Amino acid sequence: MEMRLRANDAQGFDTVLLKGDCDLYNAPKMKTAIINRIGTGMRKLRMDFEGVAYLDSTGVGAIIQILQAMKTVTGEVVFRGITGAPRKVLEMSNVISLMKLEQADAAR
Amino acid sequence: MNQLIVRKLIVDERNELFDAQGMKLAELKSDYSKIREYAAMLLRECPERYREGTLLEQQVSEIIKNAIKHGNHGDPEKAVRVWYDLRRRVRLIVEDEGEGFSELDAWNDFLVKRQTALYNQDFDEFLQLASWKGKNSDPDDGGNSLIAALEYWNGGMVFNAARNKVGVVRWYTNGSS
Repeated sequence: MEMRLRANDAQGFDTVLLKGDCDLYNAPKMKTAIINRIGTGMRKLRMDFEGVAYLDSTGVGAIIQILQAMKTVTGEVVFRGITGAPRKVLEMSNVISLMKLEQADAAR
Repeated sequence: MNQLIVRKLIVDERNELFDAQGMKLAELKSDYSKIREYAAMLLRECPERYREGTLLEQQVSEIIKNAIKHGNHGDPEKAVRVWYDLRRRVRLIVEDEGEGFSELDAWNDFLVKRQTALYNQDFDEFLQLASWKGKNSDPDDGGNSLIAALEYWNGGMVFNAARNKVGVVRWYTNGSS
């Protein structure tokens, strides 16, 4: 899975653009990288899943841990581009109810 | 008024989901690096309409992962046996050689607390309970695969008495196709 960071937009968000499979092999590295950035001061994060067609329980667990880490520092995480099977996985595990989805994805 | 309904994992040794008659059998080595490869292999001849994008492959991969990682603890001497049938619906029986899911009852209790928090819209509590952490969980375990599985396998998900074998089925129609 590719992970690119676009830092500090007009609203102060850092955007992480994900591309590939967010699975048991890749999600732990993504989680660690993002939680490390939260540890060094990132407080506004946008996670863009538009390039992700495969999300498994390890990826969902990574999202949960990122949400928990950001809550601890009173930060904010927003999500965009979650569609198809990844969205279904998040719905089946109810985790989508914890996620702030940007306007384009907010049909819930 | 909405009512809180919480599904649960059940143990039923004699359940029809364990009837492997007519099913294909694959024996897999406990190789963590091949979990997704195994899922893709089992589904090679799967009709496209059952796949639902990547959803079916993901759910099959989760069951195999649970057997390899949590059942067999990645022991290369232990195998995972998968009986599968992709005719008219997707049916799997997955058996590992581990000690069984001894925390199954505790997991059911956890799910009731988790879903109650969600039902009450107590999102702080729900965030804390979002992932199951069992005695053998590690920091990379998602802790949510069984929750999604109970939703996904809409025809049932049953454990055997030893709790090292699970039978699942997903129907796509009323079975008439």
